[in-house]
Amino acid sequence: MAGIIECVGLTKYYGKTRGVEGLSLEVPEGSVYGFLGPNGAGKTTTIRCLLGVLRPTAGEARLFGQRVTLDGSTLRRRVGYVPGEIRLFEKETGRWHIDYVAGLRGARPVASDDLIARLDFDPSRRVKELSKGNKQKLALILGLMHAPEVLILDEPTSGLDPLNQETVFSIIEERVRDGATVFLSSHVLSEVERICDRVGIIRQGRLAAEESVRDLLDKRLRELVVSFAEPVDAAFFDGVPGLANLEQRSPSTFVARVKGDHLDDVVKRLATKRVVDLSIQHASLEEVFMEFYRSEDSVEVTGGEAATPGSEGGEPR
Amino acid sequence: MSWTVLRASLWQRRTSLAWYVSGLLFYSWIMVWYWPNIGGEEYQKLVESLPPEMLKMLGGTQVSFGTIGGFFQIEYLGLMWMLIVFSAVFIYASRAFAGEIADGTMELTLAQPVSRVRVGASRVVGLVAISALLALATFGSIQAFGPAYGVKLGAEALWTLTALGTLFMLAAGGICMLISAAVRGGGKAGGIAAGIVALMWVSDFVANVSDVADFFGPVNLVSAWQPGVVMDGGQVKPEAWWLYGLVALLTLAGSVAVFSRRDAA
Repeated sequence: MAGIIECVGLTKYYGKTRGVEGLSLEVPEGSVYGFLGPNGAGKTTTIRCLLGVLRPTAGEARLFGQRVTLDGSTLRRRVGYVPGEIRLFEKETGRWHIDYVAGLRGARPVASDDLIARLDFDPSRRVKELSKGNKQKLALILGLMHAPEVLILDEPTSGLDPLNQETVFSIIEERVRDGATVFLSSHVLSEVERICDRVGIIRQGRLAAEESVRDLLDKRLRELVVSFAEPVDAAFFDGVPGLANLEQRSPSTFVARVKGDHLDDVVKRLATKRVVDLSIQHASLEEVFMEFYRSEDSVEVTGGEAATPGSEGGEPR
Repeated sequence: MSWTVLRASLWQRRTSLAWYVSGLLFYSWIMVWYWPNIGGEEYQKLVESLPPEMLKMLGGTQVSFGTIGGFFQIEYLGLMWMLIVFSAVFIYASRAFAGEIADGTMELTLAQPVSRVRVGASRVVGLVAISALLALATFGSIQAFGPAYGVKLGAEALWTLTALGTLFMLAAGGICMLISAAVRGGGKAGGIAAGIVALMWVSDFVANVSDVADFFGPVNLVSAWQPGVVMDGGQVKPEAWWLYGLVALLTLAGSVAVFSRRDAA
């Protein structure tokens, strides 16, 4: 079955400046797709092409199997959009915006009262009086109040405090349980790790990697801390595959990263000496993500001799 | 057309429109009140004493300075009125597309299930409403205040001037809206449109004594604006109706077409 959200060779240039280039992805119905990348990578450009706000230079964006055009208003009836930094009519109130969007949609905002209550938002205040967080609450209400089938969320928790972030995650999770398909752009990896099934990583306008969150975490980095019974020279680790960022904290204690499927090689090398303490933890998705943005030659070993940098796990495909 | 977009467009301009309408009412009252104080034999003599070249430069080729129409055209409708209404119209038109795209509020509208043609058409209807309101405020107030000061503006002249004034504003506003649909930044659209109209005004002013300065010729919107002739009981030239009508139609339709095809962020 075709994805509910698709990009096929999507390319957008602003004059000579690249927005996205040759981006292809597919989001199946009912799934939550995390779209990760740093600022300027092309996340918002992709979303604007999906909404028909921008016209692609080449390729196409599709929703519900249909090509999105600048005039694709019927497709947008089934989509809710939450921008990360919403621009609103400063002199008007939150209620005015709710009525405005409801009028454009020609439908009653079925969930607005519930969202207002859960996000603790005061709709009677003018936008110019609202804090960034409250503006973001209004953006969430406007995007979600019609219970759309597809949610396109561009950094939806930007500016919210942790309590409200938690509320937003709960709301999104409820919508997903109700069958909504979610496209979540973010550079906050913890939220992607929490709610997404699959993740695409965009780098310099191109899709650098795409896989399930579980696979990404499995492919992951591991943080290793080992203490030996006696002082050990850093050269002890020479030639161990997958070991990187080796740091000697004391004559007998080392910190390093294990990349890819080389844990067995590392443990076998450690077992040749007497180990008094060993900690191996999965790195966070954030650290995995950072590996996508680190060129291989920047992998360094500090405080000791360089180990062989790993060649898998986290490198762009 | 979308009623929601139209209502919101006009609602956004409510405060400034109220000020513009109040200003026009006040200015019209001042002019109506002023006419009996300055008009009459002495004013006629004063005007006749001016050099003919000066009278020509002030637009004296088509209106007589000693008449009520001439007085209103020179003192009010020929320059000050244009400055007032065009500033109102240009602010609206420049915000209609480029201004809202630059502010980011257009994205909120276009993320909803409303087509660009409907958004554009609603903005055009908003310009028609604003132009008609400003024209009616101008000429309606002249008619309303007139009887108390001996200034008479017949019903036919009122509606002719309101229609012509509305079309004049739509033609100039349409130029601004077309630019607004094509460029980035509302200020740029308003500035370019104001520059074009100012050039037309200067060209018209100087062309009265020198054909060399008549850059725009028969398509000069300012040259075709002769409300004094109507106030003195004359008729609007058909060319003026055609000019305003065609420019308004082409520029406004063009602005919707351009907006429908451009990036809106």
